[in-house]
Formats: sequence, structure tokens, C-alpha cells
Amino acid sequence: MSARIVKIHYNDKVVRQFLLASVLWGVVGMLVGVLIASQLNFWRVNFDLPWLTFGRLRPLHTNAVIFAFVGNMMFAGVYYSTQRLVKARLASDFLSQLHFWGWQLIIVSAAITLPLGFSRGKEYAELIWPINIAVAGIWVVFAVNFFWTLARRQERGLYVAIWFYIATIITVAMLYIVNHLSLPTSLTHSYPIFGGVQDGLVQWWYGHNAVAFFLTTPILGIMYYFVPKAAERPVYSYRLSVIHFWSLVFVYIWAGPHHLLNTALPYWLQILGMTFSLMLWAPSWGGMLNGLLTLRGAWHKLRTEPVLKFFAAAVTFYGMATFEGPLLSIRSVNALAHYSDWIIGHVHAGALGWNGFMAAGMIYWLVPRLWNRPLHSNSLANVHFWLGLVGILLYVAAMWVSGITQGLMLNATAEGGTVLVYPNFLDTLNAIRPLMALRIVGGTLYLAGFLLLGYNVLRTIRGAEVVDGSAEVLVEDAPSPRVGVVGTFANPPVVFSVLGTLFACVWMFGGDFLRLVGLFGTITSVIIAWLHFETKKRGWSDWYDRLLLNAAPFTVLTFIAVAAGGLIQIIPTVLVNRARNVEDRIQVPYTPLELAGRDIYISEGCYNCHSQMIRTLVPDVMRYGDYSRLGESIYDHPYQWGSRRIGPDLAREGGKYPDSWHFQHMMNPRAISPGSNMPNYPWLFENDADVAALPAKISVQRTLGVPYPEWTPAEIQARVDEQAAGIVARLRDADLRVEPSRRIVALIAYLQKVGKSEPAHPALAAKP
Amino acid sequence: MSDHPNPIPPAPGEDPVRPHVFDGISEYDKRLPNWWLATLYGSIIFAVFYWMVTQQFRRINDGERVTAAVQEIRAAKLSSAGAFDDSALLEMSRTASVLASGAATYQTTCISCHGPELKGGIGANLVDATWLHGNKPTDLLRVLNEGVLTKGMPAWGPVLGPKKTAEVVAFVLSKQPASTP
Repeated sequence: MSARIVKIHYNDKVVRQFLLASVLWGVVGMLVGVLIASQLNFWRVNFDLPWLTFGRLRPLHTNAVIFAFVGNMMFAGVYYSTQRLVKARLASDFLSQLHFWGWQLIIVSAAITLPLGFSRGKEYAELIWPINIAVAGIWVVFAVNFFWTLARRQERGLYVAIWFYIATIITVAMLYIVNHLSLPTSLTHSYPIFGGVQDGLVQWWYGHNAVAFFLTTPILGIMYYFVPKAAERPVYSYRLSVIHFWSLVFVYIWAGPHHLLNTALPYWLQILGMTFSLMLWAPSWGGMLNGLLTLRGAWHKLRTEPVLKFFAAAVTFYGMATFEGPLLSIRSVNALAHYSDWIIGHVHAGALGWNGFMAAGMIYWLVPRLWNRPLHSNSLANVHFWLGLVGILLYVAAMWVSGITQGLMLNATAEGGTVLVYPNFLDTLNAIRPLMALRIVGGTLYLAGFLLLGYNVLRTIRGAEVVDGSAEVLVEDAPSPRVGVVGTFANPPVVFSVLGTLFACVWMFGGDFLRLVGLFGTITSVIIAWLHFETKKRGWSDWYDRLLLNAAPFTVLTFIAVAAGGLIQIIPTVLVNRARNVEDRIQVPYTPLELAGRDIYISEGCYNCHSQMIRTLVPDVMRYGDYSRLGESIYDHPYQWGSRRIGPDLAREGGKYPDSWHFQHMMNPRAISPGSNMPNYPWLFENDADVAALPAKISVQRTLGVPYPEWTPAEIQARVDEQAAGIVARLRDADLRVEPSRRIVALIAYLQKVGKSEPAHPALAAKP
Repeated sequence: MSDHPNPIPPAPGEDPVRPHVFDGISEYDKRLPNWWLATLYGSIIFAVFYWMVTQQFRRINDGERVTAAVQEIRAAKLSSAGAFDDSALLEMSRTASVLASGAATYQTTCISCHGPELKGGIGANLVDATWLHGNKPTDLLRVLNEGVLTKGMPAWGPVLGPKKTAEVVAFVLSKQPASTP
């Protein structure tokens, strides 16, 4: 056995690049956030320009903050800490540079295509398919670079931060690829392969876990490296790390359906979404405890160290948001809060508090070390902290009050519960206007603080000499113990977990007899596992210590843990016979003109403000009409159930108003609905609908299972012309003139179709 | 490997840290707080029971539940409808307090199609000499309640309720030129 000393030079260049990119995109993302917050209160800020309209800019804001600001910050933190934790330079300088420049190119293309109206129409998944492929490719570059570095590590054991990075990389790849499966109709347009409820389920499996595995797990890993470093204190509890890591990655995946509570989503999925969200509370707080309690013995430093202030506040906001999440997942609470500003406040407690402050703490800690010069101004960093904190509190408190106020007003009934107190949606919108204004103030304060960070960083690095870290490590050439394939799976923790999960599935989904077997099996495996653990504790921890020396088996087990929830929820929903899973109504496929109109609806981002889902709640039915059935969106690629009602639900909009109403309303919403905050859409009256693309689009829809006949392009054109002529004629009767080729005509055709379904075939509807 | 030069030290009188140190970071191995364990186990037990209650003992169909509730509301409304006949509505059209609340509802709900002067726009003119759908006050009430879907007039009865619809009818009647009934 020999030992030698190896000197390692870390690749800190790519860390500096990602760090500066994060600051730059952070400013952009927050600036767009303040702009769209202003648009909600002052419709004129939409400027009547298509590319500055709320529906197109809101996706830009969310994508910029998630993928550009937090993404770049995450890559900086992961690359900096991983090299030091595994004692190896990043495997490939080329892949590191490809990763950096590829990611920036993706961000730039997103910043161009989203305002131009290129969109897939699914939240946080709006980017068009060529960019999707680039994202997946660059993510693979990241993964190869990361795992290759792990393979060359001089430190055998994997520290808890690395566990979280591994979970991030494999899970984001899985989620991103499945939710972006699409069939292209052109170079810039595609339809998702899932439709209706399946698309909704896959979307929130992805959307919820983008929060989990893009905004949470990598940042927890960063917390586990930078918080003990900055506080110079040991991590509070290793065993808490173990338990909260595995419970977090296993449970998080199941919670997606809580975004679709009280909708047409099958009941059992709603219950799973709710109960798994509640079970997520403790694992999340495990991370908070380990972060906060690591600061024990260093609390006095909080007064002087801005870095620790940011970290302590960030972890506190994490704890607050992860308590609020389970609360909002309770079906009765959700009935009030869903579609309201409360959700927006919840998200921003996480994004501004947890992500933004972790980023700030990490940046203030890293910059002096990467540029070998003390921070330009500690006082400015302190001012940033207080501006940011007051900003978040104003923002979040305003959104709580706004969400609860509007929720209560929308649900309020009078005269013995027979009528709505506020039948006019605008009454509820105008009641929250002062709170929406307060949100602009909070967001502006937060942005101002972040600009101070940018200034502080620039002043610190101006003229400074960059410095790359290095370390000398003692390397022993002894072979480290391998767990092997058998050792990975044939051991008590894995066997008992798998058995318990399998029995639990039998119990949940089995028939009368199987159900009892499953329940009995679940309880028995839990009891035996507990007894085994109590008597053979050493065996469990020895195995886990050995596993931590083996990156590949660890990765495989993590993948199994994160894949389980998705498989169990999505596969039954995708395999189910669609024709039988419609409840008692079924959608009538869109005519070609309506389909063109629907693509305009998606491209303009109407779903950012309008849901198309009347929930199984009395106030929803009283306000909008009969509740939405599964079958009524079965042919919708993508689904458009929505997640926020800044305007009213549109699920039964078709036929509610005459064509002339929609015409005038799209031209100037305030002419019809005084006090509305909806933008004007003058360009829909000047530009033509893309009818030429319809043959390709309809052929893709046929491939996806939408029952269109085999039309020739000429037949499609004839149908378009006929329907457009009808709308133009009805508009002319109301003294309104428009060319039949204009986008507004197609959009009116679509809006008049929404919610017009027919009874499902009685033979099918009768079956349970 | 594990003997890092400057491991982060535990505080004096504290638990020992784990033997291995990563880049200067050491870890305690403190036991988990009881309240945290109670939260974890409690939420798991709740999930099991909640699943059994909702999925296996008492299966609820949300759709049927909400349909029944809405039908009950509809029935309650029907029993309170019919209270307004022609003379009652005309009587209301001469009562200032009724007209004030009728005008308020008109402002928020009707004005976008029928205009501030009731002269119409998207919707019909309400102060000219022609009534398209019957000229008795109860006809007007019926149109308001049930709508004229072919012409884009929504059914406002279910939204506004009997009291407000009657007030709006009274308000519209009060605005009629003197010659009409």
C-alpha cells in the first residue's frame, strides 16, 4: 500500500463565468418580473406591442429566473463545491466551456423566442422543440462532466452535498425529457404527445418537481457545502442528512397532482397528491433544521457577516415555504387558494427568499475567494440584505392578503347560498388592486437590493487578479471496497424499502382480497424492518458507509427512488382506455379554423391569466357553469387547464357572448368590461392567421389520436374559408368590418368552441 | 485522506464529530428531534388512514356531490321565483330604493352591451318603441332570467339571483319613455 501527495488545480474559471452570468440574468429576470407586475395593475404598460404583452413576458420571467438566474448560480455552486469535495479538477475543460456557452446560448434564444410568441403553452416548459433538444443536450454535457469528475475523484466518500447533486442531475433529465416529448409540425412548432388530463398530470409531475429538483435539491447541496464553510461549524446531524435526503427524493415526485386538486383529475390521484405533500413536510424541514442548527455556535457572526445573514434568512424562508406547501395541498384550503395570488406569494417566498438569498450568500462568499480580494463593501451587502428582506415580506404579505381576499370574494354567496355576492369577476379583481400595487413596491425593493449586489461584485472584481484554487491531497493507492450489483440491492435497507413500497401499491390498487394482503404485507415489512434495524443497526450503517464509496450504485438507487412515484401515477393514466375515461361528455375536435385560433391562444399566452377548468366546487359551478369533465379536454394538445385566474375561467366561454362581443373585447377590453386589466390585442386585427401550417398540424394531431378525417389541403382551406365567412358576416351585421384571414377571426372561432362538447357514447358512459 | 489540516472543530463540551472530514467540513451525528420524528410518522399514518377513508370506505364522487348541491340551489331559487308579477314589478319601478340597487347592478353587469343610456350596442336598445321578446314586465324578467342565447344574451338569473334580476327589470321599466306601458 503506497501513499503519495497529489497537487490539484481546480477549474475555477467556469465557476467565475457561471457566477457572473447568474448575476446578469438575475437582473434581467427580476426586471421583467417588476414589469409584468406593473402590467397587472396598469394595463397601459403593455404598450399595445405584441412582444411586450403580459402573456408573452410572464413565461420569459419564469424561465429567466428558474433556468437563467438559479440555473447559472447552481452550476457555479455545484462546480465549485464538487471539485473540492471529491478532490479532483473538473474532468474536462472543453465540456465545462461547452456547458457554459451552450447554456447561455439557450437563454438568449429563449429571450428572443418567447417575446416573439413561440411557445409550447405549458408552464416552465414553453420553449420550442429545437431549444428543448439543446437543453437536453447541454444537460447531458453537465452530467457527463460531473460524473466523469466523480469517477476521477481522489476522495472516495461522497459528502451529502454530492448526493443532492446526483439526485438533481438524473431527475431533471428524466422530468425534462418526458414532459417535452412532442411531435413537430414545423421548425418552430410542435404538439405535446400527451393530451388533456394526461398532459396535465405529466406537466405538473414536471412542474412541481422542477421546483423540487431544480430549485430545491441542488440548492440544498449548495447549503450543505457553503453554510458550514461560512459558519465554520460542523453540520448538525449526519443521520438527519441521510433520512431527509432519501425521504425527500422519494416523496417529492408523488406530490405533483396537488396542482390539480378539485379538477377533473381522477380522485385517487388528487388524494395521492395531497397526502404525499403532507408527508413532504418533515423531510423538507429536515433540510431546514440541518441548515439552521449548523449555525449554532455561530449566531454572533450573523451580526457582522452578511453571508451568514443571507444564509440564515434563506433557510428560514425555505422552512416557511415548505410548511405553506403542504398546507396549500389540503383540498379544502386549495379550494380557496388555487388560481389566486396566494400561490404566487408561496412561489416567491421560495424563489426570492430561498433561492435568491442562497444565491446572494454564495456569491458574496465566493467572489472574494475567486478574485482574491476582499468584498468591495460589507455595508452595501448589508443594505442589500435589508432591502431584499423588506421587499420579500411586502411581496409575500401582499399576496397572502390578495389571494385570500379574492378567494373569499369569488366564493361568497348570498340569499341562502343561491346567488354569488360578486357575480362580476372584475369586482374581485379591483378589490386586490392596492395589494397588486404593494407587490410592485416589494419586487422593486428586492431588485434594488440585487442591483447593489451587482455593483458590489463589479467593484470587487474590477482590476482584480483571478485566482484558481488548488489543494494538496494525500492519495492512498489502496483499492476501495466495492458494493457490486448484489451488494447494491441485496441488503436490508433496500430490500425492506422495495418490499414495503410494493405491498403498499398492492394495498392501494388491489381488489378486496389483494388489498388486505397488501395492507398486511406493508405493516409486516415495516415491523420486521424496524426490528431488524434495532437489532442490526451496525449492519445498516456499515452498508450505507460502503455505498457512499460507490458513486454508480448510489446513482442507480437514487434514480429508482425518484422514478417510482412518476411510474405509479403516470403509467395507469396513460394506459387507461381513453374512450372510457371521459366521464359523461366528450370533446368535439376543433375545426381547422378553430385549431388555428387555439394556436394563437397558446402563442399569446392566454393560459397565464385564464384557466379552462371549472372545478367540482359549488361557487365555481355557479360562476362559470357545469363542472369540466375529463372528456372535454381529451383532444387538447397541450391541455390548457391553467394555474391562475387573473381573469375569469373560460372553460364554458363558447356561445356565451356574440362574436361582436369578442371582437370589441379583444380590440379594447375596457370598452366591454370597464376596469379590466387585460391588454389590448390590436395586432390580431392586422396580422393573418397561419392557415398554411394547418395541413401539417392536422396530420400531427391525427397521429396523436385526434379523430380528424383525411382532408386534403384544399378541403382544409375550404372549411377555413366557409367558417371565417360566417364569422365575418355576423360581425358585419353588428357594423364591424374585418378581413376573413385575420387572426381575430380564427381566435373568435376558437373561443366560441371552448366547452362545447357532446354527450359521450351512452354505452361507454354507462360503464364505470 | 480524512485527516484534513483544518477540520471545523466541534464546540467545547459538544458531541464528537464523525471521523471523516470533507474539504474541512465535519459532521455531528446528533439524534433526530422527537417533534420532527412525530411530524414524519404522523403524516405517514395520516396518509394511510386518509387513503383508506376516501378510497376504500367512503368513495365520494365530487361530480355527483356538486351536481346535487347545485340542483338544490336551483330548486330553492325556483320556489322563490314567481313572486314577481306585472303589477309587482311596476310597483317596484316606482320605488326609489329598488331603482338605486337596480341601477347599480345595471352599471356592473348590463352596461357593456346595452350602453349607459340603455340605447343598446352589442345588445338591444331598451328604450326604443320595440320589444323583441314580449312587452310585459314579466316577459322582460323572463328574458333576463333565461337569456336569449341565440342573440348572445346570457341567462342572468342563475348569476344574479331573483332579487337582483327583478331590481334590474324595475330599473329598465323606470327608464321607459312615458308612452309605453
